[in-house]
Amino acid sequence: MSGTDTVSLAVFAVVATVVSVVAWRHTRATTVDFFLAGRRTGMITNAGAICGDYLSAASFLGVAGAVYASGLDGVWYATGFAAGFVPVLLFVAAPLRRLGTVSLPDFLAVRFDSPQVRIAAVVAVELVILSYLVPQAVGSGVTWELLVGEGIGGLSPYATGIVVSTIAVGGIVVIGGMRGTTWNQALQFGFLLAVAIWLAALLWAGGFSYPAAVEQASTAPLQAVVGDRLVEVPNQLTGAPARFGTPGARYGPAGQLALLVTLVLGTAGLPHVMNRYFTAATGRAARTSTVWVLALAGTFYALAVMLGTAARVLVAGRAEEPWLAELTVEGVLRVPEHALPVLGRLLAGTPGLAVVSAAAFAAMVSTIGGLLLAAAASFGHDVVARIWRPTGGPREAVLAGRAAVLVVSALAAAVAIAVDPERLLASFPSVIATMVTWAFALAGSALTPAVLLGIWWRDATARGAVAGIWTGATTAIGALLVGLVIGANPSDGLTAVLLAPAMIAAPISTATIVVVSRLDTGPPVSPRVWTRMHGTAADRQAERMARITLRGRG
Amino acid sequence: MARMEMGPGSPRGPEEFDGASEVVAAAHTQRRIALGYGLVFVLATLSVPVLTLFLPWWSGSRLLGGMSPSFVVVAGGLYLFFLALGIAAATLARSVEDRMLGTSPDDDGSPG
Repeated sequence: MSGTDTVSLAVFAVVATVVSVVAWRHTRATTVDFFLAGRRTGMITNAGAICGDYLSAASFLGVAGAVYASGLDGVWYATGFAAGFVPVLLFVAAPLRRLGTVSLPDFLAVRFDSPQVRIAAVVAVELVILSYLVPQAVGSGVTWELLVGEGIGGLSPYATGIVVSTIAVGGIVVIGGMRGTTWNQALQFGFLLAVAIWLAALLWAGGFSYPAAVEQASTAPLQAVVGDRLVEVPNQLTGAPARFGTPGARYGPAGQLALLVTLVLGTAGLPHVMNRYFTAATGRAARTSTVWVLALAGTFYALAVMLGTAARVLVAGRAEEPWLAELTVEGVLRVPEHALPVLGRLLAGTPGLAVVSAAAFAAMVSTIGGLLLAAAASFGHDVVARIWRPTGGPREAVLAGRAAVLVVSALAAAVAIAVDPERLLASFPSVIATMVTWAFALAGSALTPAVLLGIWWRDATARGAVAGIWTGATTAIGALLVGLVIGANPSDGLTAVLLAPAMIAAPISTATIVVVSRLDTGPPVSPRVWTRMHGTAADRQAERMARITLRGRG
Repeated sequence: MARMEMGPGSPRGPEEFDGASEVVAAAHTQRRIALGYGLVFVLATLSVPVLTLFLPWWSGSRLLGGMSPSFVVVAGGLYLFFLALGIAAATLARSVEDRMLGTSPDDDGSPG
């Protein structure tokens, strides 16, 4: 590790620690303060934090890697990630916040007035969190391997990256709670965006032309490294050799549709992202934050796609350099996720590699932080405070949440260390983005239908929601397991749907909620809950109080 | 009309209220708007891969350097479309809320 690498990681660690400690000094041991930052997060801060939460290793390393590996078909990862916030804005953001709950399971439990819904939702949420945490940990291992290249205490470099990031993020969340995590996430997203803009500026300053790069990357057939040799990538639509700028390098029609539906539906069911909406001051603020998210995330993804394209061209042109020769086979990167760090080094030398790798860590840390906090909220508030020991008080809920952070992070690290990314790379060229897709599939199948119908269909009942959550979760997990066992082709055909199963599991879950609710004789939603969720009285009250406060200061 | 008190308690003025029936009507309108915008979103997004299947020039011709119309739309155009759709939907949703909810006067006489 060079001096620059050490400095960049040290600066990153110091900033995160200072922010967490400052937040800790402002956080009281109450549920609203620890889990929701006092519900006073500003709109732009919240938008930045939502982006920091959402833009994980899959976005920072994975999107550029997917574009590098699959050209236009890889771009659909970025499009799907960004598109996921449109349904959130249209259907979820404002009503979700207005009900005034603490977590996604809490929202569903209050809406359906049912402890059974709470339990089902907690199980689904914890499964989503675990399946989302593992690829983040894999990403931190891969990045450490590339940046540092050395292990600590007898661990491999890959395992060391996982252990270091797990301990660091667990500490940040336990100390800083939602307030510290929010500030860290907003800062870290700002850093990610700044790094992407900086790399783009370096490219343009060097005379880079985006259209010309696409043309250059598309002249020869697309190639990928399998084992130690180079193979031509077949076009899934035509059977001819695939090209960078044309569709078909990765997906046929079924595979592409399955991916898109999974990413779009999954976002509204991601517990760590949806939890951020509970920290907004009002429902209107939550909705406006989502507009900002569309702008910020869209900018980031458009840049990430361009950077992946640039890596495809520049790496091939300088593959003879000794350090790059180790990472490539005949000019093609062995691990597509290395595209962005390698581009950083190509453009700015080892400082460039250090800055990009620090940004990759920031992406992972901010997402892991959000995931751990969501785990803490669903365990501390939903399990301990609402089910297990309702008389225990907020201090006990916060303590249980902190304990959950440690347990869940240790579990995810253990699974990630057991995963062998080299083996998975043979089947899935962009392994981090692929694994995150599985978490989206679970969220979109188990939670999104219950959230959407709970918000917009008054006749949806608790029994319907419970049946829908279990059906969606088991269908999605079953489809994924079958797909992995039979070695499903992720590119096309019916088996592609097994690896991105929200397209089948979400409709099944929705149909289950509708049918069971229709057959159920239980009560529909209470008028009080419906009025809180869709009324704006609390928003107006909060806005008026803000005006009065401002007038008082003036 | 029976009114339901929903706002948090405040020592500095009257509570804000939403009538149950006006909330039902507003929610119905909001759902119709969200579904309409959602339909536009789905059709526009899905049209990109569908055009690839049926119109060879969509992904075969060149618009900017080596970029086909499909590449330009997926790599940049769709993000702008999502943002424009989001701004329009958020503006309309807020306008509906202002018109259909909170008919009680504010403490300074301005509409809530």
